[in-house]
Amino acid sequence: MRDYLLLETRRTLRDPGFVVGGVAVPVLMYLLFTNLGGDAGDWKTGAMVGMAAYGAVGSALNTGGGVAEDRAVGWLRQLRVTPMRPHQVVVGRALTASVTVLPAITAVLAAGGLVNGVRLDAWQWAALAVLLWLGSVPFTLLGLGNGYRLTGQTTGVANMVANLGLAVLGGLWFPLALFPEWLRAVSAYTPTNRFAQLGTSVATGHAPPGGAILVLTGWLLAFGAYAVLSYRRGAATD
Amino acid sequence: MTPTQGATPAVAFAGAAKAYGDVRAVDGVDLRIERGETVALLGRNGAGKSTTIALLLGLCPPDAGTVELFGGPPERAVHAGRVGAMLQEARAVPRVTVAELVGFVGGRYPAPMPVGQALELAGIAQLAGRRVDRLSGGQLQRVRFALALAGRPDLLVLDEPTAALDVEARHAFWRSMRAYAGRGSTVLFSTHYLEEAEAHADRILVVDRGRIVADGTGDELRRAAGGSRVSFDLAGRPTEDLTLLPGVRSLEVRGDRALLRTEDSDATVIALARLGAIRGLEVAPASLDDAFLALTTTAPVPEKESVR
Repeated sequence: MRDYLLLETRRTLRDPGFVVGGVAVPVLMYLLFTNLGGDAGDWKTGAMVGMAAYGAVGSALNTGGGVAEDRAVGWLRQLRVTPMRPHQVVVGRALTASVTVLPAITAVLAAGGLVNGVRLDAWQWAALAVLLWLGSVPFTLLGLGNGYRLTGQTTGVANMVANLGLAVLGGLWFPLALFPEWLRAVSAYTPTNRFAQLGTSVATGHAPPGGAILVLTGWLLAFGAYAVLSYRRGAATD
Repeated sequence: MTPTQGATPAVAFAGAAKAYGDVRAVDGVDLRIERGETVALLGRNGAGKSTTIALLLGLCPPDAGTVELFGGPPERAVHAGRVGAMLQEARAVPRVTVAELVGFVGGRYPAPMPVGQALELAGIAQLAGRRVDRLSGGQLQRVRFALALAGRPDLLVLDEPTAALDVEARHAFWRSMRAYAGRGSTVLFSTHYLEEAEAHADRILVVDRGRIVADGTGDELRRAAGGSRVSFDLAGRPTEDLTLLPGVRSLEVRGDRALLRTEDSDATVIALARLGAIRGLEVAPASLDDAFLALTTTAPVPEKESVR
């Protein structure tokens, strides 16, 4: 399992699309959004959490793209004729995602602290990183669900739509304050909004609200079920 | 290479069948491969070779019948690391080097060979540090051979292992395969090249339309298909009566030449002499090609057969 994790992590980090889309873009967008148009104040912290979350969601979904690719080239089939159990492959993939979301989270938090001068207590930084890390799990499952169900190309498109759509709707790019009332109501039920809320609550010195944990748990179960169903379907045909 | 009789066979199929929609890809196969045998699965494209291999590896369950490896379900043998396979449709795994990939796959098995040795056997030692997705088709095929070998499996399964190889690489491949088989491993490979089947297998299984239609050595298949072929110039002579001559099993007319497949060439030639039909007469042993054609259906398969 450790070897598989190493192999897949290495493969992910060698993917220029992952490095650019999953790490560089969130950092650049964060720096741009907070440094254009004068003093952004609190938004520097809010946007830091939002963009770290956006990067984490992108990286987590990217794992699904990798799965679709592995199915297409026959790598998953090759693994099935080695002593590895099918569930070890799936768990290994999910664990890979838990490693490959870290660069995005770390890079955006570092940009916030080092470039934008965001000041938080040590425990807040630590809690923020851990919550963003844990909160990315539902998105990994969504990505895996897409990867096992769809072809390589459609997985890419589905992941991108999910990523951009959920990011904007969840307020990762723009503050929710800019949204009309009804959209804010919708946003409160998105996994991305609640994911970011885990981070912003800590950054402002509060415990994460129960509502956020409730909504995220709901999405965790939904995406988990989706991943299991997709896996069963995908595994039957590969 | 001596097969071990009596012990649990390496491979045992009993009435195994698998259909995809209306197509019976594997249609009731009984088959037993002893440990240490090297067996070729010979058939045309679409004859059912790959589906047979998928059943054997436990990649799909049979619709009917049973498939066993070493006396248990295929999944168990695969999980125990007794099986190594080279799959036909596999493409390059992106963003990984040859040595990383072979080392990883070998590392899943209980007693793998060193990566260097696997690469050496597959003839790709010089490619160790190259990225798999930047190799040529032939190089990639040898990487897949190394993946199959790396775990030092008891049963090596190779689905059309030489399809993308040039002549030189093909020879090198068979040398390595024989070296591996010589250690007492069981080897099953599929091919549509008759010469390969005869040269490199102890036993040939001819597959046609999802069934095993012949099982034996090249010589046995030749005999089974009818011993020799007799040909002569027709010179305008009618051909209707030729199939009635003693020994003759089939007739083929190529241009002005008649080609008879016969079980008893002496009797056939004597009868032809009586008829005075001996112009340009030639007698030759049946080729394995002839045997193969005689054993498998030559009629073209209809594009679409409606059953409703």
